[in-house]
Amino acid sequence: METLQLQAIEKHFKETNKKSKEGSVFSIKPTTITIQEGEAFSLLGPSGCGKTTLLKLVAGLLTPDNGDVILNGNKITSVVPEDRGFSMVFQEALLFPHMMVEENVAFGLKMKGIRKKQRLKRARETLTSVGLEGFGKRYPSALSGGQKQRVSLARAIVTKPRLLLMDEPFSALDPGLREEIRDLVARMHKEYRMTILFVTHDREEAFQLSDRIGVMKNGGILQIDRPRNLYEKPKDPHVARFLGAKNVFYGKLQEGKFVSDDFQVQLTYAQNPEQSGWLVIRPETLSIHKESAEQESNVFQGTVQKLSFRQGFYYIKIQTGSKVLEIVQHADVRLDESEGKAIWLRVDPNQLYFIPEKG
Amino acid sequence: MRRIGHFMHAAVTIILLIAIAIPFIPLFFSSFSHGWRWPEVIPHAFSLRAWVYVFSGNSGTWEAVWTSLEIAFIVTLINLLLALPAANVLGRLRFRGKWLIEGLIYAPIIIPAFISVMGMYISFIRLGLTDSVTGVIVAHIIPTLPYMVRALIVSYSTLGFQWEEQGQMLGASGFQRFCYIVMPHLMPGIVAGASLSILVSLSQYLVTFLVGGGQVMTLPLILFPFISGGDPAIGSAYTLIFAGMAAFALFLMDFLLKRYYGKKVTVHL
Repeated sequence: METLQLQAIEKHFKETNKKSKEGSVFSIKPTTITIQEGEAFSLLGPSGCGKTTLLKLVAGLLTPDNGDVILNGNKITSVVPEDRGFSMVFQEALLFPHMMVEENVAFGLKMKGIRKKQRLKRARETLTSVGLEGFGKRYPSALSGGQKQRVSLARAIVTKPRLLLMDEPFSALDPGLREEIRDLVARMHKEYRMTILFVTHDREEAFQLSDRIGVMKNGGILQIDRPRNLYEKPKDPHVARFLGAKNVFYGKLQEGKFVSDDFQVQLTYAQNPEQSGWLVIRPETLSIHKESAEQESNVFQGTVQKLSFRQGFYYIKIQTGSKVLEIVQHADVRLDESEGKAIWLRVDPNQLYFIPEKG
Repeated sequence: MRRIGHFMHAAVTIILLIAIAIPFIPLFFSSFSHGWRWPEVIPHAFSLRAWVYVFSGNSGTWEAVWTSLEIAFIVTLINLLLALPAANVLGRLRFRGKWLIEGLIYAPIIIPAFISVMGMYISFIRLGLTDSVTGVIVAHIIPTLPYMVRALIVSYSTLGFQWEEQGQMLGASGFQRFCYIVMPHLMPGIVAGASLSILVSLSQYLVTFLVGGGQVMTLPLILFPFISGGDPAIGSAYTLIFAGMAAFALFLMDFLLKRYYGKKVTVHL
């Protein structure tokens, strides 16, 4: 069982730029993560949250100030990257321009001292599996962006690494290509049963590719869980917002009700009395009614502020009181004409989620 | 626009050809002349005297050519070894006082090498480096090193760290990364720096004369008396040999580097 563990790992950077006199310091807060063999694990967070730094700490390209990287119970914190047996796909393809494609792919095997004939054979096999059969004799300058990134992926997996690290490998590609390569990575993950640690700021990418996701903010991990749990049961309002549950409101629980400054919602399940926290209303759990039904509980009146149609769904912003709610609706009803009109929203109490405030 | 570009290209080529080729014509006539005075357009009499002397056994031409090339190539090799780590740091890292170190390394371009060699002369005597090829090699490093460092700094500053990180993640050790990733990237800079280093070393006169003490005879040393001493025919012949030697040295270096790194690297001379 290959397990990778980050134990209370920490890293601080001092900004040595003369211009910023405040001495802005960036740091990775003590972080502990355990990744199981064969797992695809994502670090998800906005840019500048330290996810790439964390990845480089795992790779060994950076040394932590505190804490340890542990592989199968052995500390590898002080092992140099080239001896860790990991592979990494960077944001750019970084193919060596003076080598042909197959030499590029075979580079890792060459470093291991595998004979030329054998390593080129394995390189060609891997090229075939990423869909680039017959491209071996070309130079990287003759490839398109997507092809380059596929060669880069082939080069990373040909050595059968213990862990494949990926640093936003698709962010430089067109949307169409991105999807294609995403599928390829998902296929490779299944085929080679690799352990993958993946860094991205794109939540769709993370949801599609990973078994578990760690959501990061300001150099720390907010929550680690399976994608669905993260979305439906976030432990932190930032996690909820970052994953696309736009309607997060701060308020108080009182007698089975959630009370915010200008609205209240009836909850079904019993909660500890008198607790403040955040209520998460996921945009797809709200339903729209064109007729008034205000006598029922959990129905609000609002006006449609903005309505946009995207591939089978309506994305609607609705003003209720001082708040703006975001709603996603199946486009089976025609709503085109309703911008600026009054509308009624029903909140499903079973789909609500409450995040208690800590402390 | 394209036409203008084409025209400019042709014009520059022609001007360069004239500037480089024309001086060789009188040099060529002079080397075969038997007295060539103003206002004759071409010499009134020709002779092979100068060339016979240059190639005769007791003129020491070939020894001088060999000594010059030997010194130039060894100097260039030492320069390369000295400049690689220096350029690595100066080209890629930022630190306090960097401008001072760069200034000190480039100083020999502005201050004649002769001055520092004069200062070092006593130490050279104490170390027994005077009148020897070794001493001349050490002295030649002073005026040639700045060019090598400059060229490599440019190459290193375009390298960044990402390629080596990628190499590391593919299991390449420090030495392997240097050979397979860094060197090919630096190759154009190495060629540029080495070319300058060879040319500057080949054309040193004063420094060689001072440190070599007349014992180390390079081509400029046997050429100079003929130009200043009044036998322009032999002087011209030596000048042509000098030009040929420099061209040969550059060609040889280019050939060796290209052969070693195959067609993988495009080398421009």
